[in-house]
Amino acid sequence: MPEISAGDTAWVLMSAALVMLMTPGLAFFYGGLVRRKNVLSTIMHSFFILGLVSVTWVLWGYTLAFGPDTGLGLIGGFEWLGLEGVTGEPSSVYATTIPHLAFMAFQMMFAIITPALISGAFAERKRFKAFVLFAVAWSTLVYAPIAHWVWSPDGWLFGLGVLDFAGGTVVHLASGVAALVAALFIGRRSGLIAPATEPHDVPMTVLGAGLLWFGWFGFNAGSALGANGLAATAFATTNTAAAMAAITWVTISWLHRGTPSVLGAAIGAVAGLVAITPAAGYVTPAAAILIGLGVGVVCYGAALLRLRSRVDDALDVFSVHGVGGAFGAIATGVFATVAVNAAGVDGLIAGNPSQVFVQVVAVVAVGLYSAVSTGLILLVINLVVPIRVPGPAEEAGLDLAQHGEVAYQP
Amino acid sequence: MVIAALVSFVILLVAWILAPSEAAAQAAQQPIAVEPDPEQMPVAA
Repeated sequence: MPEISAGDTAWVLMSAALVMLMTPGLAFFYGGLVRRKNVLSTIMHSFFILGLVSVTWVLWGYTLAFGPDTGLGLIGGFEWLGLEGVTGEPSSVYATTIPHLAFMAFQMMFAIITPALISGAFAERKRFKAFVLFAVAWSTLVYAPIAHWVWSPDGWLFGLGVLDFAGGTVVHLASGVAALVAALFIGRRSGLIAPATEPHDVPMTVLGAGLLWFGWFGFNAGSALGANGLAATAFATTNTAAAMAAITWVTISWLHRGTPSVLGAAIGAVAGLVAITPAAGYVTPAAAILIGLGVGVVCYGAALLRLRSRVDDALDVFSVHGVGGAFGAIATGVFATVAVNAAGVDGLIAGNPSQVFVQVVAVVAVGLYSAVSTGLILLVINLVVPIRVPGPAEEAGLDLAQHGEVAYQP
Repeated sequence: MVIAALVSFVILLVAWILAPSEAAAQAAQQPIAVEPDPEQMPVAA
């Protein structure tokens, strides 16, 4: 029986709490970006998922994602349904120095925030009931299998040798692509002439970005699954990439639009955090600077392209999480080195160009699966509950039309 | 115990499907101040 480490356990439990805080942080981040008539509904999409996916993860999500494989490396079985057999003793497979329940709880927080990320793409016009059903279906049919592919020792992408330290493909690419599909499926917001609306509360968004940045230390450094040097590496690379991407985005917007955008600083930081997520435990802090620089440029360009398109991804989820996740996954294949993490592999710069190919395979597989299955889920749910609210409700705002509440009294 | 937990969740799921989806249909028709859509600065700026 593996022995429990008090230090590792304390760090992973603390990290789980940090990641939990990211979902309310995301609620603020998104809440500030929408118009004031939709702020409560936008916050609710994240906050409700905190409850919803917590329960589904305990009931069936964890066993599908991390349970013993069913044979093809595609999904886990039902051995751990309802967390049967998942106890305070360590797992023999995952994080063997901490209680299995601590690992489960840490992973639960990832499962929670991932569908919440998608909510920003079809914000301001989706029906709450439909979104609840979507979140249940998506976390079960999309998130759990992809997590199994990448993080289960029996998963087919794990077997291929893909490097994804904390969820660049599992969390960000999967949700970013799903967001694009959702935005295309539901259509543009009514009455929208320009490609975007003005945020109703930039300070709220910056507060949300700050909470996300804080929680991301748990997301990435916690993924070391121990209180050790690898966690310190991931902590350092995470902060470095976020910082570099934030100042890069601000610089580009300053040159492009003539002003150093506060909103750009917040979005740039999030883009940096997204990109460093798969790489955090495999690259050096110097590489994190290059990753932050690269993702700042790439995601800014993606956001500009989106603005010029007809796609109403309301809060630029695809531009930041989809593009940033794919960029980070491929950058991991470029910058990874066993000098940082002996359990990883070398990347392109360290003399192993084939790792880039493996990372590209993972990006394509996860992106395609997320796109197709998200589309199918939306089609089916739309037959049961129309996903889009009626025009008058959209005009009145979802806070009042869907929740019977308003955020701000006149 | 696990079966009971699953059943309890399914009960909630059914309740969500049956619950009113336009809870504020009447409220939405009340005269309210609808803010105009400012279509100015891009979100990603």
